Amino acid sequence: MEKRTDKNSYTIIFAIGMVIIVGVILSGLFGWTKPMITANEEIEKQQNILYAMGVNNNDDTSAEFVASDKAEALFTENVKEQMVLFSKDGKIEKQMTRQEYMDANNGQEPYLIDVKKQQSNAKKGEARKLPLFIGQNKEGKTVYVAPIYGKGLWDAIWGYVAIDKDMVVQGAYFDHKGETPGLGANIKQRYFMDDFYGEHLLTSNGAFKGITVAKGNADPKNEDKTDNEVDAIAGATITGDGVSAMIKSDLKLYKPYFDNLKKQAN
Amino acid sequence: MLEHLELFFKSIFIDNMVFATFLGMCSYLAVSKKVSTAVGLGAAVIFVLAITVPLNWLLDQYILQPGALSWMGPEYADYDLSFLSFIMFIATIATMVQLVEIVVEKFSPSLYNSLGIFLPLIAVNCAILGGSLFMQSREIETLGLATTYGVGSGIGWFLAILAIAAIREKIRYSNVPPALRGLGITFIITGLMAIGFMSFGGMLTGGDEETKEDTTVEVQVTPTDDNTELANNTKIEE
Amino acid sequence: MGLLSKKDAALIKDPLADNNPITIQVLGICSALAITAELEASIVMSISVLFVLGIGNVVISLMRNIIPSKIRIIVQLIVVATLVIIVDLVLKAFAYELSKTLSVFVGLIITNCIIMGRFEAFALGNGPWRSFLDGIGNALGYAVILIIVGFFRELLGSGTLLGIPVLGDPIEKTGLYALGYENNGFMLLSPMALIVVGIIIWVQRTRNKTLIED
Repeated sequence: MEKRTDKNSYTIIFAIGMVIIVGVILSGLFGWTKPMITANEEIEKQQNILYAMGVNNNDDTSAEFVASDKAEALFTENVKEQMVLFSKDGKIEKQMTRQEYMDANNGQEPYLIDVKKQQSNAKKGEARKLPLFIGQNKEGKTVYVAPIYGKGLWDAIWGYVAIDKDMVVQGAYFDHKGETPGLGANIKQRYFMDDFYGEHLLTSNGAFKGITVAKGNADPKNEDKTDNEVDAIAGATITGDGVSAMIKSDLKLYKPYFDNLKKQAN
Repeated sequence: MLEHLELFFKSIFIDNMVFATFLGMCSYLAVSKKVSTAVGLGAAVIFVLAITVPLNWLLDQYILQPGALSWMGPEYADYDLSFLSFIMFIATIATMVQLVEIVVEKFSPSLYNSLGIFLPLIAVNCAILGGSLFMQSREIETLGLATTYGVGSGIGWFLAILAIAAIREKIRYSNVPPALRGLGITFIITGLMAIGFMSFGGMLTGGDEETKEDTTVEVQVTPTDDNTELANNTKIEE
Repeated sequence: MGLLSKKDAALIKDPLADNNPITIQVLGICSALAITAELEASIVMSISVLFVLGIGNVVISLMRNIIPSKIRIIVQLIVVATLVIIVDLVLKAFAYELSKTLSVFVGLIITNCIIMGRFEAFALGNGPWRSFLDGIGNALGYAVILIIVGFFRELLGSGTLLGIPVLGDPIEKTGLYALGYENNGFMLLSPMALIVVGIIIWVQRTRNKTLIED
């Protein structure tokens, strides 16, 4: 005896019904929440950039953003200038101020530039848009915040690094999509991010080297700031390598800008 | 060709599903009592991975990625359906698994019986979904490479379950403390095997220490008048 | 438990020890290995699973008479995935901070075989109330193991519990470290989770001889 639910026709009808119901629920929900999610994501980007600049609510050990309702105001206040560099073949072809960029791109703010998309565009031979946010940190020093993007063990990792005109790190924020909690996920912990403070991206003779997240405990208290190395997280080698790689590949592109800046100063 | 070979061996040994990322553990532990059933399940996993990874690659490239719909016309270029990737990947996988289940039931009832509840569980064998998600997050570039990756990961999983099944068959003649027999000792052996497999990671990072100095990248700067002028604009009003 | 009949109470009690999802039923191992390097992550994951398994079991149980058996796996997976995505989207819109903490676990929950395993083995054949209890019981059993493993890995691996140093400062050499103790970084690596679970099984089966295999 065949049950009603075993019939092929029933199966097909059920499947179609299920797809329609789930589809309607999900797309409806997505359409409804999309504006709120986008707004949240924009605020988060502002918070990230501010964090790298040193504008945050950190206490002794926690990594705390500025409150989300104040992010927008603080962002306008602290980020003195946003600009977009167009980089191709290791050179900077041209650059735009925030206003020029927004006029050319339907009012899109430079901080919303999708770094991942820019990376894949660059692979296709297009010029890569490099956003740069300029402001002052607490000591009154001018810092330049650049976004970076790469791959960890499981999924995407990204971050914002604040550097001064000599390409010395003044602050860093890292985040990840799905690194292992307790291991790779610790790249967004204070002790890891704070290690980058004061590290040099250049070697002593001025060539770009980046910062390597290094295993081995040669410098556990991170006192040597010119070794281009920070201490790795135990058990998170691949995530650490991802951080090194994205710092190297993305921040390298900004070097011509700082070279010019230096020439300018002399 | 070389990149295929590299990806293939990398997915078998260095990124071994079981020993490096610990995916697909449930069926790995539960169906490894006998070599014959292990081979059956392992083969099923290779088969399902080899089909679902390229299929999901196509889905990802032409439907899910932000801007993937641009082949339908420029007005679709802004759509981003990536929030659906979990459910789409799972649907593909579940469909394939159901297909495999029907085929196995038809042609090999004995295998079907011995796999029992674990054949349906291939669908949630995280190795399978993991394969597709890794494919997506690692941005594998071509359909060919996606297939290579699927087959490679499948073989890696097959190798792992085959090895543990063979060990478990032998260990039955050893004097294991009673309370550890079966599952307990399997856990511990897997842990030890995983530690062993970690050494394959050296294939990827070995020698890295020496070449590190060479990776210093010299950025060529050709100062032109144009550039200097640009730098002018970057000064901030202080 | 006055509210529950003896049979119902067993649904909650059994998975805690004698029919534990991880050590006996062999379900949900991947996540038990992946996220137990820290106690906090273990607890978050346990709560998420409790939530999804409890609700998912009820939904599947309510649908059990209309699900065509040929495509039941797809249906089950879609139910879990939909549930998780709904929660994820709502959290992203209204509680963004919380959703950032949980987003890592979304993938792990969908693929957690403990959820599918209980759907398949229990919810498809039982009423909603009993399925709910079964879901809660199994999730608690899962939580017990996760928390034990997380506790030992964090304590021995990084000398902290819930991120708070309990053994002294390894760099300043205070507390236990002054005596020459060192953190065992090995405990943070995933293979050690396997071995810790193995030891839990050993202890459990030594105490309850009826569970011994062969």
